[in-house]
Amino acid sequence: MAYDWRKEEYEVTRPGRTRIDYRLEIGRALVPIGVERGFAVLDPDRAELLRAWVSAIIPANGDRPAAGEVGAAEYIDAIVFLTPRLRGVLLDAIDMVERLAAERLARHFVGCSPPEHTTILEAFEANDPLDAFPMVRDLTYEAYYAHPRVLEILRRETGWHYEVAFSGSELEPFDEALLTRVRSVPPRYRNV
Amino acid sequence: MADDAERDVLIIGAGAAGGAMAWSLARRKVDVVCLEQGDWVDPALRPKNHLDWEVRARRYWSPSPNIRQWPSDYPVASEGEDPVSVFIYNAVGGSTIGYAGNFWRFTPSDFRVRSLDGAGVDWPIGYDDLAPFYTINEREMGVAGLAGDPWSPPREPLPLPPAPIGPHGKLMVDGCEKLGWDWWPTEQAITTIPYDGRPACDLKGYCPFGCPQGALATVDVTYWRKALRSARNGVDLRTNARVREITLHPDGRAKGALYYDTDGHVREVRAKVVVLAAGGLGTPRLLLHSTSQRHPDGLANSSGQVGKNLMVHVQTFVIGRFDDPVQDWRGTWGGAVSSRQFYETDPANDYLRGFVMSINPGWSPLNLALQVAPWGADHHQAMDNYLNHEAVLFCCGEDLPEERNRVELDWDNLDRFGMPGAKTWYAFDSNSKKLGKAMIGHGTELMGAAGASGIRDFGLSPALGWHLMGTARMGTDPAKSVIDADNRSHDVPNLFIADSSSLPTGGGVNPTSTIQAVALRCAERIWEMRSELG
Repeated sequence: MAYDWRKEEYEVTRPGRTRIDYRLEIGRALVPIGVERGFAVLDPDRAELLRAWVSAIIPANGDRPAAGEVGAAEYIDAIVFLTPRLRGVLLDAIDMVERLAAERLARHFVGCSPPEHTTILEAFEANDPLDAFPMVRDLTYEAYYAHPRVLEILRRETGWHYEVAFSGSELEPFDEALLTRVRSVPPRYRNV
Repeated sequence: MADDAERDVLIIGAGAAGGAMAWSLARRKVDVVCLEQGDWVDPALRPKNHLDWEVRARRYWSPSPNIRQWPSDYPVASEGEDPVSVFIYNAVGGSTIGYAGNFWRFTPSDFRVRSLDGAGVDWPIGYDDLAPFYTINEREMGVAGLAGDPWSPPREPLPLPPAPIGPHGKLMVDGCEKLGWDWWPTEQAITTIPYDGRPACDLKGYCPFGCPQGALATVDVTYWRKALRSARNGVDLRTNARVREITLHPDGRAKGALYYDTDGHVREVRAKVVVLAAGGLGTPRLLLHSTSQRHPDGLANSSGQVGKNLMVHVQTFVIGRFDDPVQDWRGTWGGAVSSRQFYETDPANDYLRGFVMSINPGWSPLNLALQVAPWGADHHQAMDNYLNHEAVLFCCGEDLPEERNRVELDWDNLDRFGMPGAKTWYAFDSNSKKLGKAMIGHGTELMGAAGASGIRDFGLSPALGWHLMGTARMGTDPAKSVIDADNRSHDVPNLFIADSSSLPTGGGVNPTSTIQAVALRCAERIWEMRSELG
């Protein structure tokens, strides 16, 4: 995986279920981003919960939309549509989040406030036997940071941009005058 | 099943080494056939041709064969205290199709580690033996840079001017000058001006994710373009050809290879000379799989050294965060500016050998978010803090060969032809750990001198497996090495190994330039020995 290096430990703690490494599982699952789509795997209730979940992972801020507004939940659904072994992981995770909301706040997750969403998801993240939380988080980041609308806002607000068809960047040619000091040093390599 | 004609040379692997060898031999009108288990990379699939390139880089362009699962891939398991995060591509061009183009010559001391520092091994050849082939390779690949680096012996000018160093490069120059450290514009296999039929780089950055216009010198657009149109109809390059085993004549000479073709049917190629160029994993995998009564422990393995001495370099990133924007999307990724201030062994250190540091622009949004941005309310603030405000210092140091670090066959994980996968076992030794600690320390010092307001690093483990070397090494002693100074097997007189596996030590820099120089030298030796080799 590119340069998304992160120090995390993963353990299987749920009896009777084998942890599936979603990083390997999704290797062949490429889903277009930024296109309108519905849900293929999730029923309406679970779809609504997942949309609230991804919007808690990346909430709206100023011009930047929440992840749920740019199709991150539909994107995750499309990924697990292509990777059937991950469907159970996602379905179980959604149900566990809903159960946590019921146990702690006696409400549906979608009816909770943003701070309550955070509290519930932190509790789930801390006890996530199927490795579902990092899967949903990573896929949410993918859906968000490859979305044309988000990339355009980033260009406007941070200056960073990448356009497929653009003609490249301009930089000043290397200035050899910068090397004046280094050119004067004696050889540094060892003679053998 | 068998081709009718016996060919002059069979090359197994069309990567950095195989491509260079094929070109070198074909231009001498040698009849060359090359078997490559992968295919040509479809330019339309290069991630950077798409807006969602960062996601594609985590899918079919992943450097891990276990994730992308191309038909040409085989499973790779990683074990040991510091498991190797393997970076390989099985395709025409090999792993160069996903590299960044850092293009270094080794220094003279890199070939004499045992003599100078009492550790590792010496090469049976030296810098002067390879220098002419470095020069040829730099011309053919199209390398940009400046001669005159005080850390290298005098040499010919490079064919292309250095790349612009950009704001991130200037930060490193400022830091080095403040500290009194030497620096130099990095040599990069990237066309800074139109060259040899290839357009100039347009500085889109993020080079490992598929150069859209072929400015990055991947071997499919350099050597192979020429090798296929050389004299005598060019090289016979057969893609999707998975070699199963190297076959032998009754007298013990290599006869050729059995391979599965595109349809999965076994076929045989015979040749007077067989060259293995399948890389640091692929070459030992194939040798260990080529067992026979005469070679029960694998071909060319009387020393027991095949698969041993795996080296990956001590690698990490030290990342500086700067208050002013750094224009992260601009510039090459082959390391605009580098310092070898700490490259040679210094008796004052608590470790042997040394390392290089090279500066790159900062990360792209998805990679950055996955690294530093927490989920939840603080997410956007973290992105604003880091995106377009970082410069990334790539640090690469020498790790010395150790028998325990190795590649083995993995019979628990088979490829689609029923052949065993590869299993690596790796742990940094104490020297590497000390060197790595010093590398991060000096990188942090440099970022601080450059004005960074925040500094982070990637640590050392898991081991970044971008440079897989040493698993069929050259040497003078047949009991301790697999091939001789001409890359010729000690056991099988017409079998040559000329890829990263042949390097006895790995220096402290990216090895592609040296791998190709070794391959070009091997090709010349095969040409010189042609009457003996039949």
